[in-house]
Amino acid sequence: MEIYNDYKEHADFLTVYVREAHPADEWQMKSNVKEDVCYAQPKNLQGRVAIANDFIQRFHYPLPFGIDDMTNAANDAYAAWPERLYVIDESGRIAYRGGMGPFHYNPQELRGWLAARFGEVKHEEKQKEADGKG
Amino acid sequence: MRRFWKWTLGVFALLLVAAFALLSFMAGSPKDAYGMVRYALPHMHRGTLRVGDDAPDAKLVALDGASGFHIRERTAGRPLVLIFGSYT
Repeated sequence: MEIYNDYKEHADFLTVYVREAHPADEWQMKSNVKEDVCYAQPKNLQGRVAIANDFIQRFHYPLPFGIDDMTNAANDAYAAWPERLYVIDESGRIAYRGGMGPFHYNPQELRGWLAARFGEVKHEEKQKEADGKG
Repeated sequence: MRRFWKWTLGVFALLLVAAFALLSFMAGSPKDAYGMVRYALPHMHRGTLRVGDDAPDAKLVALDGASGFHIRERTAGRPLVLIFGSYT
């Protein structure tokens, strides 16, 4: 969200909701239970839409949002599951392709791309912390 | 000959058990190891897209569940950051 706030004046953002990674009826993690994020894998579009809206409401998520339909076309085209980051440039070409989540999902790498293109955005608190350590 | 096949099957079974034990250790538990193999691996794909490729298009559904739009409708004028993920 910080990256969105820092660069929303320069780039557009779109969150694409894909099939669930750890639904209750498949590979549910302990963290899902602890955080009360327990959903079965949606079997129809209405199910996906409902979960997406729950997510938006719970986190007051401000980013533009789209939902992959049950053909999983977006997921398949971008090899997105379970999570991945991309940047499409103005000419419609892939400018940045992030690693496959969860282990290679790296928002800081995305920030690096945006910083190289539009300049680094520094945050006062983090700068003070960095200065204190230096 | 029969003894050879018994021995081979035994070694193979032992290797499978060892592999599952290692996976369980890496995943955190046997349940997580099973979950990873059964539900995650079939859906994890490296994909073939590379930087410089034309970005694929796909139709997405809006949060109202009724209207839709294409990813490429959002790519004119400025870079578009795509964040793929799910709730769980």
